[in-house]
Formats: sequence, C-alpha cells, structure tokens
Amino acid sequence: MKIQVVLIGQFIPRLGFSEKAVKVPAPFTAGDLAARLGLGEVDKVISKNGQGIAGGEPLKDGDRVVIAPIFSGG
Amino acid sequence: MKGWTGNILRINLSNKIYKKETFTEEFAKKWIGGRGFALKILWDELKPGTDPLGPDNKLLVVQGPISGVPMPNSGKTIVAAKSPLTGTYGDGNIGSYITIQMRKAGYDIIIFEGKAPSPEYVFIEDDKVSFLSAKEIWGKGTFEAQDWLEKKYGKTAGILSIGQAGEKMVLYAIIRSMQGRSGGRPGIGAVMGSKNLKAIVVKGTKEIPLADSKAMRDRGRADLRKVGEMDKKARWSVQGTNAVLSWCNEMWALPVRNMRHSHHPDAWKLDGQRTSEARVATYGCPNCTMRCGIAILDKEGHESEIDYENVGMLGPNLEIFNLKQMASLNYLCDDFGMDTISGGSALSFYADAIDQGATTGDFKFGDAERAKELLRLIARREGIGDFLALGSLKMAKKIGKNSEAYAIQCKGLDLSAYNCKYVPGQALAFGTSAIGAHHKEAWIITYELTYSERGAYGRDKAQKVVELQRIRSSIFESLPICRFPWIELGWDLKNYSDYFNLATGSNWTLDDFTKRGDRIYALLKAFWTREHPDTDRTADYPPRIYFDPSIADKEGPAAGKHLEYDKYDALLDHYYDIRGWDKRGVPTRRTMESVGLAKEAEQLAKVAEVEEGTVA
Repeated sequence: MKIQVVLIGQFIPRLGFSEKAVKVPAPFTAGDLAARLGLGEVDKVISKNGQGIAGGEPLKDGDRVVIAPIFSGG
Repeated sequence: MKGWTGNILRINLSNKIYKKETFTEEFAKKWIGGRGFALKILWDELKPGTDPLGPDNKLLVVQGPISGVPMPNSGKTIVAAKSPLTGTYGDGNIGSYITIQMRKAGYDIIIFEGKAPSPEYVFIEDDKVSFLSAKEIWGKGTFEAQDWLEKKYGKTAGILSIGQAGEKMVLYAIIRSMQGRSGGRPGIGAVMGSKNLKAIVVKGTKEIPLADSKAMRDRGRADLRKVGEMDKKARWSVQGTNAVLSWCNEMWALPVRNMRHSHHPDAWKLDGQRTSEARVATYGCPNCTMRCGIAILDKEGHESEIDYENVGMLGPNLEIFNLKQMASLNYLCDDFGMDTISGGSALSFYADAIDQGATTGDFKFGDAERAKELLRLIARREGIGDFLALGSLKMAKKIGKNSEAYAIQCKGLDLSAYNCKYVPGQALAFGTSAIGAHHKEAWIITYELTYSERGAYGRDKAQKVVELQRIRSSIFESLPICRFPWIELGWDLKNYSDYFNLATGSNWTLDDFTKRGDRIYALLKAFWTREHPDTDRTADYPPRIYFDPSIADKEGPAAGKHLEYDKYDALLDHYYDIRGWDKRGVPTRRTMESVGLAKEAEQLAKVAEVEEGTVA
C-alpha cells in the first residue's frame, strides 16, 4: 500500500525530503513507518487526519501521515 | 541578600528626580523577580482606573536573580505596565543586553514615572542618570534609533527603544532591542511613548552579587555548551520556530483569513523549509544557545527577522503567500515598533469587516501592497491608520454590527497564530491568559493534538493549562529566562531551580516555583478584576467566531468542527475549580489567602465582589 509521508522541521534536512509517497506492505503501523524512515529511535510526534496517533496505530492505503519533532511551541 | 541586587531605580520623567530604593529579601523570595516583581509593584502603586497612557501609569524594566549571568538563554528582560489594550497588567519579555548591563549597574528594577516634557532618552551609567534630548531619533524607526544609540554607547550597551508606533501610542506598540528583539505585546511600547521616552540606555561596571560565583560560572559554561550541543544534534535552529507553520497547516490549526479557515494549500510557500532556504543571517539574544532569529530579505531588500508568529499572522492570516511580501510587512512592523501579531490581526479584522459589509474600505485579503500602506498609516496614526491603531477589539466596538464576534482576541489582546476553533484546550489557554491571549502563557496545542483527544473538553486539558501557566509565570517570566531550551529541546526544568539556588544560596525545588506561580496567577486575575469589577466568565472565552458552525471548515479533519458553549463552560469550570476561583473566574478570598495574598484580597474586596470560597 502507499502512504503519503509529510515531514516537519528538522526531519526534512535529516531525511532529504518534505513529502513523498512510500510503498509499504500491509499490515504496517505508524511505528513501522517511522522505523523504515530511520526515525524509530528519535523523539517525534506522528499524526494522521489532524490527530496524534500511537506507534501501534495501523495504517491503511492512502493515509497521509505527518511526522514532526517534539516541540512545545513558541 | 545574594542573587538579587536588592535595588530599585525610580526615575520621575516629569521632574527629572531619581532615587535608589531597596527591597527586602522577603519581597524577593515571595515574588522571585521579573513578572512577579512588576505585578506586585504595579498592584501596589497604581490606583484602579489609572489611564494607561497617562503620566500616572508606570513603566517597569525588571530583572531577576539569575539575570545577566551566563546561563543558557538567560538574556531576557521583563517590560511591564498597565496595558492600553487590555486595561489590566501587561508585560513582555525581551532579549537584550540591558539584562546584563542593568544588573552590572546594580539594579533589578527600574520604574519610570511621569512624563518627560519633551522627547527624551535616559542614560543610566551605574549610579548616574542623565536625561537627554531625543530630538535626533524621535520620529525615526527602531533600526535607525538603535544604530544611532549603538554608535554613541557601543554595541553591548543595554538599549531599549520604541519606533514611531510607540511615539504615536499605537495601542499594540512594542519595545525593541538589538535590531531584532521585541517585547511587550500588550502595548508596553505605547506606554513608553506616552512618557515621551524614546529609549533607555544602561551601562554598568559592578559585580552581580551571587551566592556562589565560581559554581555558577562553571555550571553556566558547561550548560551553555550542553544546550548548544543538544540544539546541534536536534537541528532545531535549522528552521527555528517557523517549523510549526507546516505542522499547524497539516493539523488544520493555521490562522487563515482572520482565522475563518484553518488550512491553506499555499501555506508551504511560507514554511520553515522556505524561510530556512531564504536565510541570509541568524540572530539571537545574549547568552543564547539556539538562536531563533532567522533573517530573510524582504521585497525591498531589507533583512527581515522572522519567527512563526509573525509569519502566521502576516502571511496566511492575511492570505499573503509571497514570502518576500510577508517579510516586508514584518520588517515594517519591526521598524515602526509594533506587534506583528496584533498588527496582523488588526489588518485581518479590517479586511474581514469590509468583507462582511460591517464597514467600508479598500483593503482586501491578499493585498500586500495595501497592507504595507496601512501599516505606514497606522504608525503615523493618519487617516484609517488611526482607527487600525486601536487593535481589533476596540475597532469592533466602534464598528458594531456584531463585528466583535470576529475580533480575534481575548481581553483585548489578539490571539497568537494558532487557530483554535477545533482545539478547545488551546482556546482555554488563550481565554484564561490573564494578560490577554498570548502564546507565552500556556501552549498546550501539541499536547492536545498529540497526547489527548482533539475535540474533547476533559479536565486533563484544564490541568495542563494550569500546570503550564504555573511554570511559565514563575520560572520563565519571573527568573526571567527564555523557555526555548525547555520546550524545544527538553532541557530539564530542574536546571532552573539549580541556577536559582546557586545564585541565591537557597534550596528551592520546582514546587517552590509553582506555588509562586499560583500566587502570581491569582494576583494577575485579581488585577484584571480590580480594573473590571463587573467581570464574568465571558472574559475567559475565546473569540465568539470559534463557536459559530457557519465558519467551520468544509473539508479536512476539522470539517464541520467548532467549539461548543456548554462544553467550553464545563472546561472552564474545571479550570476554575483547579485554580480555586469562583464561577465568574475571580479568585476567592480563601484561595488568595492560601497563596499569601490576604491583604490583596482585602484590597480587591473594596472594589469588586470577592466570594469567600472554601479551603482548597
């Protein structure tokens, strides 16, 4: 299945892209996706549909997943 | 007394008399410094109903017990006064060499009273105060004024100045320093202008009194290095605060079109990646380990130093998606010395009111050139600019026609750049901020959108708002010190109590700070109540438009979502219950007594109803 990955902040220079489609096998979780991108051990927040999700959250084809560093704001 | 100098410099601008006063260790330990000092002094010394722009208001510049000592991001100064926007206590923190110079000159607090007979600036050099003509810089922008003063007094002199907006008393004028630092959103620059005070310059040569100078110096050196390394590892400074823009857009919490929308497909043109790529320089405050001031070139070729709040309010909120044009608006606000958030909000409110048919005018969303002209008119208070200089709430009150519903403010201060129509906890944070809607008070949006159910109104959100208000008011606003190492890099809060203890010889825990945070917040709300005796819980509501189903987004994760009055009221009840305040949002007598404000409760009861309450 295809997941649209959106990176925020310092993850962009770290991984070299801001948004792209990633092909993954099903079943696949948000945590699996972060690990695939090399962000498994990094502090981060993962969101889908405007809401934070846990690492164990299953993903489905066409999901748009946002991975951001942890920030507490301005 | 160690840590604090124990000295107040009181300067009367009307008669040019100044005197050195002292404060006690008991006062210092009760109020810490910064905001705590300023709040208590303004509570004691201002009569209720004082005109914020009259000579009886007082402008305070305040430090704390670790100010001026090289510790991570310790270059912050508090500027405070009764606010012309909100009519209550207002303050701001600003990175400046004045933090260091004031402490070396031997002062923790400077109080400016009265009004200079003609435009002046004040030069303080240790024990000597000079009142000097400002005729060469009056009418000039903050960049030129700072340049002129730096040439005269040196680049590391402590300098605060105002621009034309402060001189003309634009109600959201701010104070500037170091060509890029700003503070005092609630119109503290207008108060400075009302006193005919263009600038404050301080130079000092004394030792800062510390309980353990060597330990503090060693700890400071080590921690400056550690936080700098943390930033390098995390790469936070690559995008700085503007990394939040694309996150807000993805989460549908971006301010778009006077916050009528919460997402825009063109927002990426202004995001952290774009501003990082356009960067021509980076600036920071004294003792900074993670410089957030990313400068880009504006359309006219000026360096314009941006952060997320500026970009959000002058970009998507005005539907301006040209990076250089947005940077031009930001540059003008900085040069005129006006708040980019409230300036952006005044412009977006004006465009919205025209759109809604509530008023007439020639400004439309997306019109960057006209926005520039309007900012120039605001700074000079000419034509329509005189009206826009009032800020969105006062503009709405003049326009009428239900326009107050879409004045995006709380208590008169405009919201920072987070669209809360489907973020109830952050709406509560803005609503209950006792100085008006300010992001520095409690920023729970990442907690809310990440670790909590977004649309829920649970007690956990009220608890989180209170927790952050406690920490921010007591540690970050009162030491005072920049919060970024903590919030962006996870620098442990215990470091700050360590710094305090090394400076003062105390043995405080974080609990000692948060207890004082409750005291400060109770007095902040008491201050509001003293100035607005008929206050009720609606003073703690977010903008009414957030409750309006007709402006809910039509698509995306926030589609059809808006705040609901009954649920927000229940959330507010949780907040009041945790705080020990009554149903109007006024601290009860028992609550005030429990945080050491028995005398202040008596004083408040003379002008407003104060419920007895129960023992917490």
